[in-house]
Amino acid sequence: MRLPRFFSKKRGHRRTGSEVWGSVGEAIFHATLMVAGVAFGGLLLTGIAVPEWRINHDFLESRGTVVGKGLARRSTGGPAASRASWQASVRLRYPAGAEAAEAWAFAGPQESDRARALERLDRLKLGEELVCWYDPARPAQVVLSRGYNWWMWALTLLLPGALLAFGGAGLARSLGRWGRSEERQAATGQRPRDPLAEGPASTTGHPAIPSCEDLVNSPGTILRYRLPIESPESWTLLGLGLFAVLWNTVVALLAVNAGLDLLGGRIDWLLLAVLVPFVVVGVAGVVAFTRSLVLATAVGTTQLEISAHPLRPGGTYEALLAQGGTGAFRDLEMSLELEERATFRQGTDTRTERLVVWKSPLGSWQGLQLSPGTRFEARATIHVPAAAMHSFASEHNAVHWRIVIRGRPTRWPAFIRTFPVVVFPQSPGEPAA
Amino acid sequence: MTHLPDPVRQHPSVTVQFCSPDRHYEPLQPIAVRYVVELPSGQVARAVERSIVWYTEGKGEEDIGVHSFERLTDRVTAEAKTGGFESRLPASPLSYEGVIVKIRWCVRVRLFFDAGRDFVSEHVFDLGHVPAAAFPGRP
Repeated sequence: MRLPRFFSKKRGHRRTGSEVWGSVGEAIFHATLMVAGVAFGGLLLTGIAVPEWRINHDFLESRGTVVGKGLARRSTGGPAASRASWQASVRLRYPAGAEAAEAWAFAGPQESDRARALERLDRLKLGEELVCWYDPARPAQVVLSRGYNWWMWALTLLLPGALLAFGGAGLARSLGRWGRSEERQAATGQRPRDPLAEGPASTTGHPAIPSCEDLVNSPGTILRYRLPIESPESWTLLGLGLFAVLWNTVVALLAVNAGLDLLGGRIDWLLLAVLVPFVVVGVAGVVAFTRSLVLATAVGTTQLEISAHPLRPGGTYEALLAQGGTGAFRDLEMSLELEERATFRQGTDTRTERLVVWKSPLGSWQGLQLSPGTRFEARATIHVPAAAMHSFASEHNAVHWRIVIRGRPTRWPAFIRTFPVVVFPQSPGEPAA
Repeated sequence: MTHLPDPVRQHPSVTVQFCSPDRHYEPLQPIAVRYVVELPSGQVARAVERSIVWYTEGKGEEDIGVHSFERLTDRVTAEAKTGGFESRLPASPLSYEGVIVKIRWCVRVRLFFDAGRDFVSEHVFDLGHVPAAAFPGRP
């Protein structure tokens, strides 16, 4: 018998992993999750849910007399950092069927404050009669209150349920794929999808060509369509902003603690030592966010309109560039580019490599002086080569066409603004657009 | 495709013949494929899968798109030494020889044997006439 290989074959620049071992690993992972769900669920059911359910359904009501009382103490943590909680308890004597029984029962919730637990205990008097419920199977088990702890039930169902659902579905998927060819998996939609990769929507009748619906839903003021801008800078700005807010919230919490310590006359040197680098990173985060915000808003908006969309190989189109803002620009350039994008996994990281494989300049303008209230406008002609590759997008690979505007303002750093376009293949027998 | 003289053949072999001798097709054009299966003596295929697929090659993870797929499990068809199938090719994606992204079209004939073993034979063809992309900086 031959064991499956750990590595299958080399494709392109990489050696791909063994699908058999990958499937086995995936099945083991999901089976482990499922077993953990069953075990966790079983523990919660037998330890919490079933006893609570029995108290509410099986226990019989009785009236008990308080014959003793005391505080139950529970200690958690190690001997060095022991924490105690306190719970008022009473010893009850109560009729259980034909016989009399006597047992301890808790008479309130657990308290971390001993004085509060004592206060609750003081309210209970020796000789007082209380309603209680006892277990007919074991009369020495008695409780003073009934009801359900709903969040515990939710926890009982939610956590093991999620583990069971995720693990079970994954295991079923792995077993369903077992022994099936990749063509069969792809044809029946069973091929594993990468949750981190984009799942592009295709155009009807043109498989693997990205949909251009979002590119033609905004009419232009002079030409037919206004193209939306692809701005990774906006996401960077959002990310920097979120980081600055979250990080500085943590810094503020630490600083408040350190301040309270100082006011109380104590100096926690460890906290102060942690606080200093945290403050430095927090200030750097605010500076980076502010700089990105200024750069994003200082140079005015760039708009691009186009006479038709989608584009076709061999077609000629008109484009209108409009640049707003104030101040002087050394130059402004417009070009049509074809970029390849490949997404791959490297260890636990997912990386995307981009490479411009074709570029055609569409226009270049020097020495611009922009003033408020007006915008620079220029027209350019776009010619898509007759033998051009069409736009393509699959889960991990893409061929993107885009119009790129590169500007160099005199007072600000250079900027690049990208407007994606979609190129369809030339239909057979159809003349060039 | 390897051909070993009988009776020393140790591995299966599948020979594919395309209706277009140069294996070049236009979008939306019909494609017809004939194949001949040669198996080592004593080996019998219990199922055959024949498909027309595109897949990506290059730096990224491999993506695959199935244009047509057929699985034959009845004994007579699976054990047949020859077979054929036809389809009309789609409008896209066209074959592309990029720098870090490549798109290939192929016909695959996959034979399944006992004990879960399989053998796949892949035969590449071109769809469309897109020239290869040049490396940046090269003409």
